[in-house]
Amino acid sequence: MTAKILLVDDEAHILQVLSLKLRNAGFDIVTAVDGEEAYELACQSVPDLIITDFQMPYMTGLELCCALKQNEATAEVPIIMLTARGYALDADDLASCNIKQVLSKPFSPKQIVALVSQQLQGMTHDGGTKGHSEAA
Amino acid sequence: MKAGRTASLVLLSVTTTFIVALEACLSFVKPLSAMSETMHLVVIGAVTCAGMSLLLIPAGIALDRSMARLRQYVERTTQDESDSAYYGPRWLQPITQSLLSAIEQFRTRERTLRNQIRDLEIRHRVTEVEQQQIKAVLNSLSDGVIVTDPFNEIVMANETAAEALQFALDGSIHQPIEVVIGDERIRQLISERRDSSNFSDHHVIDHEVAVGEGDARHVKMYDIALSCVENHKKEVGGVVTILHDRTRERELAQRETDFVSKASHELRTPLSSIRAYVEMLVDGEASDEKSRDEFYRIIQAETDRLGRLIDNMLNISRIEAGIVQIDRQQVDMKSLIKRAAETIEPQAREKDMTVLTKLAPVGLTVEGDPDMLYQVILNLLSNAVKYTPESGRVTISADSDNLTRSVLVSVADTGLGIPPDALPRLFEKFYRVENYKRVAKGTGLGLSLCKHIVETVHYGQIGIESKLGMGSRFWFSVPMRYAGVQEAA
Repeated sequence: MTAKILLVDDEAHILQVLSLKLRNAGFDIVTAVDGEEAYELACQSVPDLIITDFQMPYMTGLELCCALKQNEATAEVPIIMLTARGYALDADDLASCNIKQVLSKPFSPKQIVALVSQQLQGMTHDGGTKGHSEAA
Repeated sequence: MKAGRTASLVLLSVTTTFIVALEACLSFVKPLSAMSETMHLVVIGAVTCAGMSLLLIPAGIALDRSMARLRQYVERTTQDESDSAYYGPRWLQPITQSLLSAIEQFRTRERTLRNQIRDLEIRHRVTEVEQQQIKAVLNSLSDGVIVTDPFNEIVMANETAAEALQFALDGSIHQPIEVVIGDERIRQLISERRDSSNFSDHHVIDHEVAVGEGDARHVKMYDIALSCVENHKKEVGGVVTILHDRTRERELAQRETDFVSKASHELRTPLSSIRAYVEMLVDGEASDEKSRDEFYRIIQAETDRLGRLIDNMLNISRIEAGIVQIDRQQVDMKSLIKRAAETIEPQAREKDMTVLTKLAPVGLTVEGDPDMLYQVILNLLSNAVKYTPESGRVTISADSDNLTRSVLVSVADTGLGIPPDALPRLFEKFYRVENYKRVAKGTGLGLSLCKHIVETVHYGQIGIESKLGMGSRFWFSVPMRYAGVQEAA
């Protein structure tokens, strides 16, 4: 079964290029332009992984992650955060919101594909991400 | 004493000899020898007394003179303070010597005392001046200073400290810190420092002090340095506490961090698009010609966005730093407005919008930089077109304001309007109205640059009136004559 990835970014060009890259890599892609839309989509159909931008209108990436963590259905979905901010995110925030990776913009689409594969493999092989998130 | 004893002996022997001689003479005088024993004694006594008187009167007179001379000498010496020579009888010299040395001793002692008094007066005056100097220095310091004694009582403090810790400077001297200083942490620090008896290092700590009441209540950040003062016995003579206000520094540092963070975000966003699309092209992920063309177009658009962003950032920082090149000349605002309206026309037509130009039939010339003013007009027009839905209307009008001797330009649209909470922040760097981020792309720097050009470069004014859902009206005014306004500003 193809893994389903939810892509969230308010920059249309980023959504477009990442969708294409990940589709070409064989993933099933759903996109959202802000946190609220992403939350609704994730609740409707729980994705295997979420890639979200940090800074977005209405609801930041971090707020989205925390909201997903609160919801039982989406609590265990691993998240990759993209950020264009000049400084590192708080480690506690990352751990408490199931954020597995933080990637600074500008990023390489190839690198994203590699990270996504790594995350999804980790999940199918040993369920390690689940254990890790609970420990965190 | 010796002279006195000699004189008595001489007097005694002279008297005895005189009496013996008188007795011998009387024995030869017939009528007298026939006198009775008693009469004999009376005559001898009377004659002796008369003889003695004849001897003693001149001696008494001489003594009296000597005494008067001595008195005069003593008086002269005391008054004149000059060592005049003494011409008295030799036998009085021991008395004069001891009197003179006594006078000399008193004189020396008086001189010493006078010198001491003078020294004390000078020292007192110096101390007074020093105290005034210390007071002046303390009050001109931007740092707060509090000096306390070993009993934790205030010895000295300045206005800055009084203001920072909210106590009245008058009446605080010689009062215990518990009465004067409200901040418990600072009281504790002073006591700890005093008890530590550590003279070597200056203890510096960060401390926040809450000031003001009610809505005006805010926190000020201080660096507090405490050091012990040593007294003459090498013991703790007190503590000097210095309060350095770092609130403004921290605010500026925070603002700078925010700016760098925002600028970094704004620069990285187009850059990440460019990088991703270039990588896709290089890796051959764009399967057909159409996709490739689209990728090229996106890369071009994002590169332009990056370029605009950098230009705007540089322009703002140049104006802020006061190093911008200004080409000041007579500018016809009407022609600038017409040119800007023509430039924006294609964008407006794409959205089926009308751009109306209403120019007052008077001369609208200002003294300013034409390129910069054109940038302001174009920016406001471009915003109006971007944030107004299709088939809307944008009106640019210009008129002269004779009262303020300036030209007023306004750009009104039938667009989305701006939420009231966003209005005060609209001209901030990188600020963008949340709801509009999806409507159109922008750097968040356009309006900030407009404000800088109008207010900093041209001494004009810029503002906005808007109601949510009812459109917005951006306006700016630029003085016709630059020189007068510059002087007034």
